[in-house]
Parts: sequence; C-alpha cells; structure tokens
Amino acid sequence: MLLLSFFHLFLYLSSWTWRTSATSPDQEQIVRDFFGKDGSTSTSGHTNNWAVLVCASRYWFNYRHMANALGMYRTVKRLGIPDSNIILMLADDASCNLRNKFPGSVYANPGRDLDLYGDNIEVDYRGYEVTVENFIRVLTGRMEPSVPRSKRLLTDERSNVFVYMTGHGGNEFLKFQDNEEISAHDIADAFEQMYQKKRYNEIFFMIDTCQANSMYSKFYSPNILATGSSLVGENSYSHKNDNDIGVAVIDAFTHYVLEFMEGINKTSTKTMQDLFDSYDVSKIGSHPGVRSDLFNRPLDRARITDFFGNVAHVEVTPSIEAETPAFVPPTTPGQKSERAIPSQSALPSLTTSQPLMDMRWLNNWRVARAWTSVALLGALIGWVGLQK
Amino acid sequence: MTLMSSSKTPSPPASTLNFSVVLSALVAARVALTLTGLPDVLRDDHQLASPLTSFSQLQEGIYLFNHGVDPYSGGTFRHSPLFLTLFATILPNSPRICSLLWTLCDGLGAWALVQIWRARQNVTSSERDGLIAAVYLFNPYIFLPTLALSTSSLENTLMLILLMFAARGKASPALLGLAFLVHFSLSSIVLLSPILLLLNTDQFSHLASPRPLATSIRKVVPLLGEFVVYFCLLALSSTLVSGGFAWIPQTWGATLMLPDLTPNPGLWWYFFTEIFDHFRPFFLMVFTVHLLIYIVPVCIKFQHDALYATFILLGIVGAFKAYPTLSDPGLFLSMISLFPEIYPYLRHPIVTSLLHLHAFLLLPLFHHLWLNQGTGNANFFYASTLVFACANGAAIIDCLWAGLRIAIGKPVEGYSIVQE
Amino acid sequence: MEAEEANQGPRWKQSISRLRQKFKGGANANVARLRRRKAMISSLTRRLPFFKFALFVVGYIWMLAIPSPRLGRGTYIDENALQPSQVNTYWNWGDVHAADRYLEQLEALRDVNSTSEQRAHFLETEFKKLGLPASTQNYNFSSSAGLITGTNAYALLGSPRGAGTEAMVISASWLSRTGEGDGTLNLRGISTVLALAGFLKRYSLWAKDIVFVISDGYLDGMHAWLSEYHGSTHKNLQSDPVELTSGVIWTALNIDYPGHSFSHLGVFFEGLNGRLPNQDLLNSFQRISRNTGHVPVTVYDHIDPREAPQKVEGLVSNLPKILQDNPEIQAFSYQAKNVARHIGYQARGRASGVHGLFHEYRIDAITIFAIPATGPHGFHAIGRIVESTLRTMNNLLERLHASFFFFILTDHDRFMKIGNYLPSAVLISIAMMIQGLQTWVRAGWKGEDETKLNEKQDGSSGVTPTQQPKRRPVGRALAIMTVAHLVGLVVFTALTQRLFIENIQLLAPIMFILLATIPFIMANTIGDTGPLSLVLKSFNLCLASTVISIITVLNFSLASSLAVFLGIPLSITSSSSSILTRVIKTALYSMLGFGWLLLGHREILSAVHDWEVLQVWFAPFVCLVYVPLALQALTVCVL
Repeated sequence: MLLLSFFHLFLYLSSWTWRTSATSPDQEQIVRDFFGKDGSTSTSGHTNNWAVLVCASRYWFNYRHMANALGMYRTVKRLGIPDSNIILMLADDASCNLRNKFPGSVYANPGRDLDLYGDNIEVDYRGYEVTVENFIRVLTGRMEPSVPRSKRLLTDERSNVFVYMTGHGGNEFLKFQDNEEISAHDIADAFEQMYQKKRYNEIFFMIDTCQANSMYSKFYSPNILATGSSLVGENSYSHKNDNDIGVAVIDAFTHYVLEFMEGINKTSTKTMQDLFDSYDVSKIGSHPGVRSDLFNRPLDRARITDFFGNVAHVEVTPSIEAETPAFVPPTTPGQKSERAIPSQSALPSLTTSQPLMDMRWLNNWRVARAWTSVALLGALIGWVGLQK
Repeated sequence: MTLMSSSKTPSPPASTLNFSVVLSALVAARVALTLTGLPDVLRDDHQLASPLTSFSQLQEGIYLFNHGVDPYSGGTFRHSPLFLTLFATILPNSPRICSLLWTLCDGLGAWALVQIWRARQNVTSSERDGLIAAVYLFNPYIFLPTLALSTSSLENTLMLILLMFAARGKASPALLGLAFLVHFSLSSIVLLSPILLLLNTDQFSHLASPRPLATSIRKVVPLLGEFVVYFCLLALSSTLVSGGFAWIPQTWGATLMLPDLTPNPGLWWYFFTEIFDHFRPFFLMVFTVHLLIYIVPVCIKFQHDALYATFILLGIVGAFKAYPTLSDPGLFLSMISLFPEIYPYLRHPIVTSLLHLHAFLLLPLFHHLWLNQGTGNANFFYASTLVFACANGAAIIDCLWAGLRIAIGKPVEGYSIVQE
Repeated sequence: MEAEEANQGPRWKQSISRLRQKFKGGANANVARLRRRKAMISSLTRRLPFFKFALFVVGYIWMLAIPSPRLGRGTYIDENALQPSQVNTYWNWGDVHAADRYLEQLEALRDVNSTSEQRAHFLETEFKKLGLPASTQNYNFSSSAGLITGTNAYALLGSPRGAGTEAMVISASWLSRTGEGDGTLNLRGISTVLALAGFLKRYSLWAKDIVFVISDGYLDGMHAWLSEYHGSTHKNLQSDPVELTSGVIWTALNIDYPGHSFSHLGVFFEGLNGRLPNQDLLNSFQRISRNTGHVPVTVYDHIDPREAPQKVEGLVSNLPKILQDNPEIQAFSYQAKNVARHIGYQARGRASGVHGLFHEYRIDAITIFAIPATGPHGFHAIGRIVESTLRTMNNLLERLHASFFFFILTDHDRFMKIGNYLPSAVLISIAMMIQGLQTWVRAGWKGEDETKLNEKQDGSSGVTPTQQPKRRPVGRALAIMTVAHLVGLVVFTALTQRLFIENIQLLAPIMFILLATIPFIMANTIGDTGPLSLVLKSFNLCLASTVISIITVLNFSLASSLAVFLGIPLSITSSSSSILTRVIKTALYSMLGFGWLLLGHREILSAVHDWEVLQVWFAPFVCLVYVPLALQALTVCVL
C-alpha cells in the first residue's frame, strides 16, 4: 500500500513539473505569436468553436421555433462545427407530429426546398429535457457525473461559443415550454460563472423572441457580443407561412440572418459588422439590437467564422519531443475481486406454504385486532354508561 | 332560512301532538328521501363529503382492511381507525343500509337537540320541541350531507349527544363522546374548554344576567384527566385495529398538513393550491392557530353561559376548519333554535339569511360550471365559498352580538347604547 | 357599554357637518359618534328611493343599449394553436361531383319515401364503400306527446398516425333546422358529409379521429347518438349502443345545407339550456369562411340589410327616411335583431340547431347553415370551408378554453364580453333587493302606517326601526311561499301529463283560473292583513332578486327576461282596499304570471317536449320558480 502511494506521489509530481514547464514564458510567447501572426484579419485567439442552440418552445404551432434552431444548426454545421461541439436543445415534436403533412421533415421556407431535419440530426436535449436547469447546467458545466460527453459543453478558455435561443419571451424572460422561464439575470450569471471558470474565450449570443433585446441587457462579463431580434415592447414576427404545413415556418429575424449566412463559407472574411449592417428593419418588422460594449474587439475585425465556423489556425512546426509520462492505471485489476460477496445460502429459503399460512394468520390477527378494538370501545362505553 | 323559520316563537298555539309522534313522522319523511335516487347522485359531491368524511373513501378503506392491506399506507383513506373498527365488525357498510343508519342518526341528533333544549329550559316537554326537531332534520345543510353518507353527519350526531350529556351534567359520557369526536375530527378539540366549563356550571340560560364564574378551576382538572384517559384509550384502540401508528399522520396529520386539496366549501383548499410551497408551513400554522385563538376570548366572555360559548365556538369551527362539509355550519345554524331569547337582539337576521340563500344556490351552480360544464374555472367555485364564508361569518357575528347585547336589556325609547 | 341620552329635537335635521362641528369639542365623543351614525342612516334612508330608482333606470337602459354598435368589440382569436385559414385546400371539382352523385341517390331515396332504416342502411353502405367502418343505431323516445323513433348512421375515420384518444365530429341531420325541423330535408348537408368522408380519408395528417354522423330527425337522432356515445341514460330513451367508439370528442361541426345553393353561411351556436360554445370556434370558422372560402358569414340567417339596401324591413321601415339612412341606426336595428334572436333561444334553453346537443357533453360545436339563395356558392365552397375548419380543429392541443364562453354575439364579428352586459340584470336585481330590504324594515315598524313611518324616517325621531322591533309574521309568510312553490310543482306535474297535453285547449284556461284564485284562498285562510303583506312582499322581492342575480351567470337571457318581467311589477305590489284596484291588479298579475297558459299553447307543448326529450329545464324553471314568484306577488296584492 505504502509503495503504491509513493508511486502516486511520483506521478503527480512528474505531471506538475511537466505542466509548469509547458507554460513557461517562452512557450507563452510562442502561443501569442501563433495567434498574432494572422492578426491583420482575426484577433480572436480561440482554438475551438462551440455552439449551443436552444429552441425553448414546443407544440405544433411553434413549428417556426424548431425551424429557427434547426436552421442555425445547419449553418454552424455547414461552416464546420462538428456535432460533438454542438449542443442542440429542441422539443423536437414537429417532424414526427401527427399534424405534419410531411412526416420526418422540417422546412424553414414556404417552398419546402430544403429539409432541415434530414437524417443527420443530433438532438442532445429533447422534449421535456429542454429545461432551464439543463440549459444552465450545460453552460456552467455543473453536470452529474453520469451525463455523457455528447451532452456537455466541454469548452475551455480558448473556446468561442455561439449561443442561440428562440422561443416565446417577454421583457427579460424567455419561456421554456409553457412551463418555466429563464430570466436575463439567469443567463448573465451563467455567463459570468463561465468566465470565472475559464470556460470561454468569447461568446456570441443571439436571441430571436419578443422583446429579445432585454435578454442581453443584464450581461456583465467580458468578451460577450450579443444581438437580439426586437426592442423592449416590440414583438418578433414570423416570416413566412407554408400553406400545406399550415403554420408559420420561420421567424423573420432568423430568416434574414440565415439568408446572410448562406453567403458565408469557411474562408469568408465577412465580419460581424457586415452581419449587423445587413439587418433591415423594414423586412424584419422589428428593430434588432446589438450589444458590443463588453466585446473587446472592433466589430469589423471579428469574423463571422470566429463564431459560426470552426476555422482553426494551423501551423505546421517541426515535431517537439515532449516527455509524456507513462500512464499507469491507479489500481491493479487484482485488487477488485478481493471483496467477499455475501453467500446466497444465508438468505432464508422461501417455500410456498409459508406465505399462505402467513396470510391466514395475518388475517386472523387482523380480525382479532378489530374485534379487540371493538371490545375495548364497547367496554369503555359500557363503563361510562354504567357510571352514575 | 332556518333563522327565519325558527324566529317563529312559541306564541302561536302549537299542536298538542306528542313529540315522539312528530319526530317519527319527520324521520319517516327523511327515510322516504333516502329512497329516491338522490344518495347515489350526491355521494361524491365535493360540498357534501370531504376527503376526510367521504363514504366512498370509507368503503375503500374497509375493503383494503378486509383484504389485508394497511389502508393507511396509501393516501386515500383518512378516516379515523375507529370508523374502521366499527364498520369492519359490527356496522354494515352497504350504501342502502347505511343511508338508513345515517338518517336514523340524524333522527337521534334531532332528539338530542330537543333534549338539550328541554334541559336548558328545565322542562319535560314544550311546544317548541317539534319545531326544533324539524329545523334540524329539514335543514338542507344537514340532510344533504346525510344523503351523501358523509361521516360528518355522524360527527354532528355525536356532538349533539355529548352536548346533551353535558347539559344534563353527566360528565363521563360527555367526555367520552368528546374523545370520540376529537378522534373523528381533530378540530373539535376547540370545544374541550367550553364543555369542561359547561360540566362545571349549569346549562340554564344566563345570557341576560351575566355573572362571574362561580366554580374554581381546580374542579376542572379531574375532568380533564378523565378526558385524557378516554382519549388515550381510544388512541390505543385505533392503534390496535390499524396495527401501527400510521393512522396518526393520515388522519390528524391530514387536518394539520392539508395533503389533499380536493375542493370543498371551506376556505383552506384554494388558498393552499395557490400558495408558493415555501410559505406553506407558515400559513398552515397560521390557519391552525387561527382556530385556537377564539377559545379563550369566547370562554371568558360567555363564562356565565357555557352552552352558548360552545355554540359560538361550534360555529367558528364549522366556518374555519380544514375539511368542512355543509353539515358543519349546518349544525350551528340549526342550533340557533335553542336560543330563542336572543332573537329580538339579532341585528341583521335577514341579511344573514339572504347571504346563506345566495351561498346555497351559488355553491352548486359554480361547482357545476367549473367541473361539469367546463365554462367556469376554480375561481368561480372559490368565489362561492367566499360568499358562504361571509354568510357563516355574518351568522356567528350576529349571534355573538345578540348574546352579549341581551345582557343590557330591552332598548328604551330615547336611549341608545354605545360601546366605550 | 353605557347608555346615553340621545339629544332629541329639531337639531336633528341639521346636516352631518354641522353636527360634527357642534360636537367636536364636546365632552363625550360617543354622543357625537352616535349622532353621526344616526344622521348617516337617516340621510341614507332618505336617498334610498332615489338610488333604487336610478338603479332600475340604469339597468333597463343598459339592457336596451346592448345591441348598440358603440358598445362591444370586434372578435379575435385567442388560442394560438388554432392557426385558422393558413392552409391550402384540396377539395376540388372531383369531390363536388362525388357530392352530386350522393345527392342524386339521396333524392331518389326521398322520392320513394324510404324509411329511416332504409336510409341509414344506404348511408352505412356508402361509408363502407369508402372503406370506413360504419354502423347504424336505432332509437325511440317516449314522451307525453307520443313515440319518436329513428335510425342514425355513423362512420369512423381513425387518426392514421394517432392514438385515437380524441375525436371531432362532422354531422348532418336528416331534417334541416329550417323552421326548427319543419320537414325541410338536409340532403345537401348529408351529401357534403359523405363526400367529405371520402375526401378526408386521403390525408394522413389527422391527429384526431373524425366521426361522421348522419342523425335522423331533427334533434332527437343526435340526442340519442350522443347519449349512447357518452353512456348517459334517460328513462324515456331506448336505443342501440354505439358500437364504433372513438376518443373524447372535443369539437363538432354540424352542416345544414337545405337549399340548392347559398349566398351566405349563417352560424348558429346556442345550445341546450343556454350554453354557448367557446368563441374561438366561431371566430375561426368565420375567418376561414371569409378568407379561404370567400363566403360571407352572418349570424343566424339574418342577412345584414346594409348589404342589400332594397330589402329594408322590420324596425327600421317605420322610421322616417332620414333616420333609416343613418348608419348607426341601421347597425343598431340589425344588431338588435340578432340579440333578440339570441335571447329567444337562450332564455328558453332551446338549441338553435343540432350542434346545441353537443354542448351538454362539453363539446364545442356550431351549425354551419347555408342560407338558401340563388347562388353563387355550392358544394365547392362549403367543402373547402369545412376542410379548412377541420385542419384548424385538428391543430388543437387541448380543449378550447382560451376565448369566451359567456358572450353576446351582436354581429358576426362583434360581441359583448360578460362584464359589459351582465351588470344590467344585476343592477335591477340589486334595486329589487334594496326594495325588499326596505319593505322588511317597514314591516317591522310597530303600529305605524306608511305615511307616519316616512315622517319618522325623515328625521323627526332618533329611533331607528331596529330599535323598536315588532314581531313580523315570518312563519306565515314562509308558509305562503311554501304553498306557492308546491302549487308550482303541481302545475309542472300536470303539464307533463299526457291528458293535459292532449286537451291543452280546454285544460290550460282552467288551470289559469285555478291559479288566479289560489291567492284569494290563501288570503282568506290566513285572514290577516297588514304586516304579513309587507313581509311577503319583502321575501318575494329578495327571492326574485337572488334568483335573477344567480341565473345571470348560467343563462343571461333568462335572467334579463326575468328582470324585465318581474323587476318593476314585483316592486310595486301592494295590498289595496278598493275592490276595483284589486280586480285590476289580480287581472294584471295573473296575466303576467300565468298568461302563457292562455296565449302560449304552442310554447307549452314545445317546452314540455324539450324537457321530456332533451332535458331542457325551461319548463320546470317556469313552473317552479317563475309561477310561485308571480303567485306570491298576487297574494301580496290580495292580502
């Protein structure tokens, strides 16, 4: 045992020394240089991209919200964020709804040109799992140990996170499935927690709901860029209705954002400023808002692909011989089986006659109890009655 | 309604019919009522049977008991184990026979009410007897729950019998009756102190001539002790029949914790469906303590007439208890017939009667709109329970006022009375 | 407590402010308080008659103003899930052709005078040909008017992908609602349902089962079918069980298309016992009809005269030309016609069509009535509208609940909320209550007659009536009321006897005379006048007021009718010594209370039929509530 713990200590020490050596000043300089090399166009400094897409409503008549989220899903996936880096929260009751004339499909445009549902959809939180609690747990990473990796937001301080939300909302709240609400404060606090736990490099927050701009008004953590579909006191409107599906298929704001995104590819140099400039109040029907005071970079230097794509900088360098410590499992397999399993024979053997006897006995006992109780009552009443 | 009919004083020459004949006729009429299809329709009506008194749930409990399942292990059976004892052994539990039994119990209650009246007036019979019995037996608040076989009707009978014993000064039966009653319905504990008071004083009307309490408090102690003994013996009996202590949280606990929010004509259920969970314990405490705070002032103010104090507290319990049915306020209203001396001093009997008329019509109507027709909602029924509570409150306040006002005597022309 | 001598004297007439001024610095605040209270009471009693009068006036004017276009508001759709008029419809000329084929066959059946069973068998076969499970149901009702028999046919289209726990109904009755089932046949309505069955089956998007019901007769067939479907039993109904059952029915559309073609679709919505469907259903249908079918919608079969100016009739035609052209007056007269029709249905608890039977089972339903005209619409329009309405009903996720259940539809797109019309009747009932309480106080005044009492209350004495109680003959008044109600029960029992129904021409007038004499008998038996009359009047007013204010939520039309019939008449009842006035009063109150026995034989027959077959409680209500109130009023007059 003692030997084993010494071994552990050694392991720990060796990994510590390795880690400290990795973050030594000259190495940090290398990293900074690496990100600064392309500084003329992107200054983000992220190495990986994540997306959290939330459709907070359910039911058939909210088809458009599901289409909104699936439209965003398609875009971020097209621009290179893999499913492993996308957390999609979707009530998912549209495609297989009984009322859907086109089962298994979700369309975001009246002509039904593009099936957003297809066969390559990975919904991480489905149906009743789309709750405020789960959303905040995803953001802050405070998960039960049993939650699989695919349902976690495994970001670090070099992650750019795109958070998209849609549903029915109001001033400083968003309804989750007619059941509960998330408030602007909740999201702001969750982002602050992410910041303190170094879970992001930058966040781009986009929300399409009524009075959406109120939702980002409470943010206070750095490096967050936010945009919403409508002012406080203003509705966010649906865009188009498909007359065969019979419901509105997408919201206006999301529709025009997606339309803009269709012109973007992985090598595009379009910036956030271009996106915000593309907002057309007369088409959208509401006044989209942008909040960039927490964001440290000029908007015309922040590329769209910093958030929507997974465009990583790659530099081919001569291989570094790093001393990787040998991995030794902490326990040897033999230790496990030492525990004694209680022997089955110790349990009393069950025969069939015994419970029957038991039942009969119990029954008699119950009747006896009842009659004793009655006798007690009778005695009591009799005694009181005989008293003068 | 009862108020109005009962304000007919003994002045008109009453029929010289024998009281027992009148009572039998009234009971026979009531039995005829049970033979109509009404009992089956009313059985599970929320206004007539609460989860603690419903006959259907009693049958369920007895069924479970007879099949070897502990009825208190679920959440449906909340009757006292004493009911279990009686109905599993000596009493029948078929609805037909039970409706007869319930009606006979009502007849017994009416008889006891008349005995109380006689004891209070110190007469062996009076012209008013038939009227008092009729006011009890044909009070819709009394006979509808009886038709629905709500056990609250049995509680009423028990209440009247124990009051009869108390009015006759028979301490042991009265205390045993009260012990039973508290087992059936925990809120009745409120009545302990006025009944102890009644056993130590007399039952005659002293409302017009108040005087300080003559007896010493020391005499109460043995009576209290006797009550506690009976109570514990009954608890023992309950434990014996149910085979454990699980019945305590299911019966008394239900009165205090309000686990079942089935609508009833009382004031608790809606409040506790609406309230946020973290306020619940606090308000449960407030609602429970609220019932208790009346005991001391009422007993002090009516120390000269303990029967009247019991009557007032009965009204308060009926109006504010946790799982009331219509029969709880009904008993109070019918008991008004015992105190004709206060009638001239009632301030607004017609307003009270009209409030009760409104409540009596609105309760079933809004209940129907909400649960059958679906065009109303819970707020409708809640509004009607508020009207009902106002009606009960008005009746209590008026009786309280008249009971105190009578001591000052008849109003004299040119003089008025004010309270300092 | 302490007794204080009240300061009697002329100062009492002074106003509250002067009293307060005088006693402010006084030694005893209690005296001041007492005086203040008394002054307040006396000023209140002085103003009470005016207040009461104002309540009556405001209440009645309010009632008259209900059809005004200035009140009320436009209808709107409250339930998000409905999404009306947002779908393409695919009902096409091929389906219209199918409907025409069915119509030909039905006309052939009509021409050979086929029996109910033959018709039902034909319908069952046609449904089965479409591949739908179908069945028939025989029924017979026995009522005091005789035996009613018939056979229903129905078919079930199960939800292709659903669990079949919810359903919607498309129905048509054999008899059209024209003339309340006067014999006009609804052949096109039935053809529409048959063709729709074939058409709707092609779609897989139904989230609910669709039940097609072709009911026999006018109301009786559907009543039998619904009773069996929901397992409710009636003593006088014998019917086969419904073999094919589905889930809970949420909504139903009844199609009534009696003419050759139609210009407007009329919407009928009143159900049995004054129940109304949720307004969302009406509004959705209207929007769909206008936007999808391009067919104008009206309430009932009332075509707005403003659409066809040459057909000015009714109220407006008697007015001078200048007023006739006033748009507001035109709107008012049109809406007044709608409201009057509504009150006619609702107050009598009568269903305005077959849909009204569904409401009893908490199913929201309306009748779509194709108003016969020489064009321009036909099967093509109605099919598309029903298809689109079904898509909307299909979208429902829970029962209709969001919109209004209590409303008065003044026009097809305008309505009044409950809060805007309910107070009219309640105000009148409050005025009656005040009158009743005032009478009660007056009855308790010792030995004074009315004029003296008024003097007293004007303030010459400080004694309020409660301080000088006098025993009121409460028991006798209650006894009279009990007798009056028992008489009502007897009247009701008599009305439902076959003997009475068959000899109504003879027996109704006899009953009228008996009823009119009962008060005299009661008055003679009791032989006491004076306060008893006042107490009875007071109780009568209080009871009537309670009944009116409580009925308002259940059936506003009935309550407002009661308020109109009883409000003033009950308030002005009084006993009089002159024989002539007594005779006149007796005649008037008898006519008010029991005049229907002389004049409304048809109404009596239909009300009794409605009670016996459909459980409409209008007849018992009149006998057990209205007649006793009138009897008591009459007794007050003759005492």
